[in-house]
Amino acid sequence: MGTLSASLNIAAQSLLAEQTAIQTTSNNIANANTPGYSRQITNFDEQSPIQFGNLNVGTGVAVSSITSQRSAILDLRVNQETQTQGALNAFLSAGQQIQSLFNQTTGTGLQTPLTNFFNSLSQLSANPSDPNTRQAVLTAAQNLATAFNQSANNLSTIQRSQNVGVTQSVSQINTLTTQIAAVNAQVSEATGAGQNAGPFIDQRQQLINQLSGLIDVSEIDAGNGSITLTTNSGAPLVVGNQSFQLSTQTSPSTGFQNVFDQGVDITSKITGGQLAGQIQIRDQEIPGILNNLDSLASNLANAVNTQNQQGFDLNGNAGGSIFVPPPASGTGAAANLAVAITSGSQIAASAGPAPGNPGDNTNANALLAIQNQPIVNGQTPLNAYSGLVFKIGNDVSSAQTNQQAGTQVLQQLQDLQGGVSNVDINQEAANLIRFQTAYQAAAQISGIVDALMQTTINMVPGA
Amino acid sequence: MTLRVNPNPLPDLLTAIQQSEQNVNSATQQLSSGLKVTQLSDNPAAASADVLNRNQFSQDDQFLQNISSLQSRFQVADSTLNNVVTALTRAISLGTEGGTGTLSIQDRAAITAEVQGIQTQVASLANTQTPSGYLFSGTAVNTQPFTVDPTTFAVTYNGNTGVASTQLSNGNSINTNVPGSQLFQNASGSVFGSLQNLVTALQSNDTTNIGNAVTQVQNALSTLATQRVFYGNALNQINQSEAFLSQDQLNLSTQQNALVAADPATAASNLVQATTGNQAILAATGRTLSLPNLLSFLPTP
Repeated sequence: MGTLSASLNIAAQSLLAEQTAIQTTSNNIANANTPGYSRQITNFDEQSPIQFGNLNVGTGVAVSSITSQRSAILDLRVNQETQTQGALNAFLSAGQQIQSLFNQTTGTGLQTPLTNFFNSLSQLSANPSDPNTRQAVLTAAQNLATAFNQSANNLSTIQRSQNVGVTQSVSQINTLTTQIAAVNAQVSEATGAGQNAGPFIDQRQQLINQLSGLIDVSEIDAGNGSITLTTNSGAPLVVGNQSFQLSTQTSPSTGFQNVFDQGVDITSKITGGQLAGQIQIRDQEIPGILNNLDSLASNLANAVNTQNQQGFDLNGNAGGSIFVPPPASGTGAAANLAVAITSGSQIAASAGPAPGNPGDNTNANALLAIQNQPIVNGQTPLNAYSGLVFKIGNDVSSAQTNQQAGTQVLQQLQDLQGGVSNVDINQEAANLIRFQTAYQAAAQISGIVDALMQTTINMVPGA
Repeated sequence: MTLRVNPNPLPDLLTAIQQSEQNVNSATQQLSSGLKVTQLSDNPAAASADVLNRNQFSQDDQFLQNISSLQSRFQVADSTLNNVVTALTRAISLGTEGGTGTLSIQDRAAITAEVQGIQTQVASLANTQTPSGYLFSGTAVNTQPFTVDPTTFAVTYNGNTGVASTQLSNGNSINTNVPGSQLFQNASGSVFGSLQNLVTALQSNDTTNIGNAVTQVQNALSTLATQRVFYGNALNQINQSEAFLSQDQLNLSTQQNALVAADPATAASNLVQATTGNQAILAATGRTLSLPNLLSFLPTP
């Protein structure tokens, strides 16, 4: 059998429950624009009924929990996609700079100086005795050397800036893993105490997402709400409340900063995030291009030198090297290419000993013919350069394609994630009305029960 | 229950705005630069082909410059040889006149003097110079090819027999000179030798000798005429090459247009499209963000 005092209790509980729900709603609305915030739901539980004889009478409502609305799977997918995007964005930002160095439509790159060098030899062939024409060959050779130097130096500058970027990324990663370790402890503490760990998980996810922009992160559930973070190759980043700091050390072979975790060099094993993009540009893309440039510069210089040595210069002397002979390995040939001769008269245009023979252009023709010879890994100089231009453009272009596709995927994932977690003002407003009405009704019930109690008390005469 | 949609459309809208601004930007760039490949990554294959195309175009330019310098050299050589032909013709008619038995010694002496004048004139023609050196000294272009002994009028060749060759286009070369010895002291008819003999014969007053000497000059003339054909042919050949190169450049420009140049009409219509798209997404964003929410419809307490 029900009692008035039980009803009053139920109404009081109801007021408490509804005001908790109103507070949650208010908190949701307050955090509608907070990054990483996931909306919370107040979960009501029906209280266990009390049995009076054969009657089961309800005993009201209680707030059993407040839960944050998250999808762990979507969080994971967003993080993974963020890692890919981070790497591609870093690669692209440097890739754009690189490709602008080799853009003949804006007048950069080696096509014009290469063409001009061979054209100057063509002109020399038509007029081998003319001092101005010879001087023009010298100037064209100098311009070509300078163009090689500038291209290589500009690439090295970009490479060095990526190297600085690596150190900065590592320091950002360390800051984030320290923060994540602290929040991770809070999550497991709250989970252990049976509290809503949602707000801490929000924070942790937000931090892991930032970390994913920087490095590849693999997430392992360590139980009790705690997670373990490693790189994809298994290098530990966060375990429980402990973070493992990455460090950088100068590589003796490249002079650049390599990344270490617990004393292990993980530089080449980093596959995601900004750090991966920076390392790829620094350790692969730019060395690859430099290697191509070195090969072009050294093969061209060697071919021109060898041919010049076959002939005789304007003064009847045997020809020497037009370019300072590049190192045998070719390494650094582009950066250091320089012209060895100081006068146009030293170009050996003639096959027979001049000076009696300044009109002989046999060797000038042979020098000119180098432009059509497969001297650079089986390709003519211009074909080799054109191949390099394709490689550079293609590397950037495929990164762009992947990045655009990835952006779409990430956006969709974020939409799905937002669908689960983002605060919808309309929904909150509707809930607010619901809770308000329920609160008002509970208050009314208190009033009515109070009146009923008054009536009961008034039944006692003399009171 | 339907899947809950993301209540925050802003990131999507911002991405769309950014994309549409990028479209406007790239359309503007195409229109202003006239290029549809402004970066290598826009079309790596076209950018790479463009390297070779530009190289070829510029190479053709250089060939055309070479051709124009060769052309003037060949023209000078040809007209010089034409003057030599005229001089030899005059020498032949003087020799024929000098071979007449009735001629007085004084008259013959006058004729001799005139032939000697022709000898000097031909020697100076054979020493013609252009900015690129002597025309008829083989490849010894800085050496005066012929010197005439002031007393004996004997002519010495100081040049060499070198022949230079220059490319007119890729894989197509042309010889650019005929050595002076071949033109003026050819074994089958020497210009200088026959003139010298004519002078000697005239001085000897022997009509038979004079007759023989005239025949020699005639031989020399026909030999020179044969040799001279080289320059005529060369001029033809370079004219052909010039036409070929001009056509090649035209083809290359067409290719370059196809590879990297933006079609102005397409670029302009792209720009219009991009601008319209941009305005549409901005309007949509404005509309979406100012949509009323449930709170706007609640009665004020």
